[in-house]
Amino acid sequence: MNCELAHEKIVLAAYGELPDDQIHELDRHLTACYDCREQREQVLALRTLAAMYPVVEPPANLVARSRIRLEEALDALPPKRWYERLSTRLVNNVASLQAAPVASVLLLVAGMGAGSLGGYEYAQGRAAHTALRPALRITAAQPAANVAPADVASISSIVQQPNSDIVEVRYNQLVPQRMQGSLDDPAIRQLLMMASEDAASAGIRDDSVGLLAAECRAGHSCNPAGIRDALMVALRYDRNEGVREKALKGLEPYVAEDMRVRDAILEALLNDSDARIRSEAISILEPVEADTTVRQVLSTVATSDQNPQIRNVSREVLSRAPEIQ
Amino acid sequence: MDGPNRAQERLEVRAPEMELIKQAQAGSRAAFDALVRQYEQQVLRLALHLTGSEHDAEDIYQEAFLKAFRYIGNFRFECSFYTWIYRIVTNLCLDQLRRRKTRREDQAVLLDHSGDEIDLLASVSDNRSFSNPARELDRKQLGEKIQAALGKLTPRERMVFELKHYQGLRLRTIGEMLNTTEETAKNTLFRATKKLRTQLAGLR
Repeated sequence: MNCELAHEKIVLAAYGELPDDQIHELDRHLTACYDCREQREQVLALRTLAAMYPVVEPPANLVARSRIRLEEALDALPPKRWYERLSTRLVNNVASLQAAPVASVLLLVAGMGAGSLGGYEYAQGRAAHTALRPALRITAAQPAANVAPADVASISSIVQQPNSDIVEVRYNQLVPQRMQGSLDDPAIRQLLMMASEDAASAGIRDDSVGLLAAECRAGHSCNPAGIRDALMVALRYDRNEGVREKALKGLEPYVAEDMRVRDAILEALLNDSDARIRSEAISILEPVEADTTVRQVLSTVATSDQNPQIRNVSREVLSRAPEIQ
Repeated sequence: MDGPNRAQERLEVRAPEMELIKQAQAGSRAAFDALVRQYEQQVLRLALHLTGSEHDAEDIYQEAFLKAFRYIGNFRFECSFYTWIYRIVTNLCLDQLRRRKTRREDQAVLLDHSGDEIDLLASVSDNRSFSNPARELDRKQLGEKIQAALGKLTPRERMVFELKHYQGLRLRTIGEMLNTTEETAKNTLFRATKKLRTQLAGLR
């Protein structure tokens, strides 16, 4: 290692950015090179000096002033017009469908079918409609049946028969569908990934995340653009701790090779409300305990976690990891 | 030590954040306001330390959250909301630093909204039993020299040093925030630390 390279590595090491395998190489160079040891002292001194300009919390009146000014500006913004809201919604839907091509095809087919049926029904309705004023009428077409609200997609019309208490309500119904296939089937995987984010029931999210996580742990194709991302979203955002725990376990095989996975697990260790998940995160991070970022987080957890057992385990892991200068 | 309230706070922050973002994307002002409250301290802290001015920090806060409100529909959950907001804020701070360089406004001291100097070091407690006014003055002057040295960096160098040294972000994250590579962020950090060491050499 030449001195120019060593100077750069000294800066990286001072900021915890030097890969572990290069720290030993740098140490060997520093042992033999006085000038570079001086450089290191200067870098460390710079860090001490820079602390003389500390980061301070913003004063409360600055926060309050800023907030009031922002609220006034937001209040002054004109409300979005319907076509702007529609455009935003369409763009968002297109973007989310781009990540789910099979789902988008299914939705396209369903949409075309619903549109055709709706057009046919509308034409039928218009043809059967006798001369009446355009005001809404409420008539009965068939005896009312118990309809579960969850099955109703939307209400399309309400018509009352004149001088009668009979009401006809036209509604569109959700048509339950069923798909069966192996876990290797991309269509099944797409639906499972959708379920991991959108399912209203925690049980369904739990099942979908559990299956996706099992695929990853078994070493099946778990490419970064799909399942791994869905698991990281579940770990970060799901309300249910069981779902988050399964997502965490599914990400375990990738903690060494994928820095995004490592970061997501470190976030869970720092921020998850469930002690079991934070404890599990420590176990998963043990193979990479020599990573300086991991050590920094463990140091924070060792002093600030509310759970004493987690604090103890963090200290134990830190004491086992090799000393890093 | 963290108590039960902190765990509850974590749950309240983490679990509904996705819902808040989706509601804000759907047009909910209340949801957006809740997101602002979650991140406003960090935004102001960064802007205040970079610009040295409460007035400028307030402007950056305003622009950042107005932009966030306007473009929240573009957020796709591919990164954390924290990273997304920080990306907006760092770009605004960078623009501010470039404007200052153009107008040659070097900020050697921290100013409040009425333009009076704020003594940063007065907010840093000194537990040493032998602290005295003369030492405090030395520290204050040292702090001003540090700020002056930081002011001599290019905007990009200043930003990378701020994000690395003071905010503790990883170089990879800094590269993403500044729309560049980790390697470029690394080289910028080298240049910044080299310049600072040269300027501050006499103070050691």
